[in-house]
Amino acid sequence: MILELMIALSVGAGLFGVGLYGALSQTNLVMIVMGVELILAAALVNLVAFWRYLHPDEPAGQMFVLIVMAVMAVEMAVAFGIAIARFRVRGSVEMEEARELKG
Amino acid sequence: MTVQMIFLAFFGGAALWFGVVVFRTHSMVRSALALLFSQTAIGAMFLVMQAEFLGVLQIMMMATEMSVMAIFMVMFMMDPGGMGKMDMTHQKRLSLWAGGIGLLAALLLVWLPDWGPVALSVPGAHEQAADLGRELLGRSMFIFQSAGLTILTAMIAATMVAIVPNAEQRK
Repeated sequence: MILELMIALSVGAGLFGVGLYGALSQTNLVMIVMGVELILAAALVNLVAFWRYLHPDEPAGQMFVLIVMAVMAVEMAVAFGIAIARFRVRGSVEMEEARELKG
Repeated sequence: MTVQMIFLAFFGGAALWFGVVVFRTHSMVRSALALLFSQTAIGAMFLVMQAEFLGVLQIMMMATEMSVMAIFMVMFMMDPGGMGKMDMTHQKRLSLWAGGIGLLAALLLVWLPDWGPVALSVPGAHEQAADLGRELLGRSMFIFQSAGLTILTAMIAATMVAIVPNAEQRK
């Protein structure tokens, strides 16, 4: 059983690495959002694995997963709101062309 | 080697493979579909880990979310099919290093600690759903309601940001 936990957590680690690469390397806003989605998916896999293999009698683990899913939905809604606003003003969602947003 | 282990490794491998495909293809629509397959494989992992409700929820939610994403890709991209093979990356070396170091650090955190005794069985699907319902409407009610309110706020904020008139329309 411990090997199953390790497999699930290793998949989570892999998704985190891939998502981090994607979020940092992409120039398109929607692709950056995809990278962040993968990072949050890694968190989901870890949470379900911890619930299943370490604390199956504790429903708070599943509740935490629902909260992360809500965060994923919120993140996507806000990102698409910004993308639409940006596209209407500049006709592009390329972040290379958004240098004026730099603080 | 148990059946659960084989299925976990299979769906985990699929989730990782499609996750990599998201950033390797030139077509934005293919990227969105690859992310959909990756998230579906994660949902299948949840089902293998006997979290039935969460697995089904993940697959249903991500299917909708990624379909919306594919539509946005077609709307916003000049070349959604990727026929021009445009390179849409920057700071590739830095990103590879950051991703690699993040992966290694996470793997170390996974493999080094002693996780203690592992549970052999889980409550049945019906009992899980009942326990989760009691948790959401009991001890975690405030957090659950806050999440709902946050989603509502984000929906209103996103709509307001998206429909705000630009300078030409204001005149």
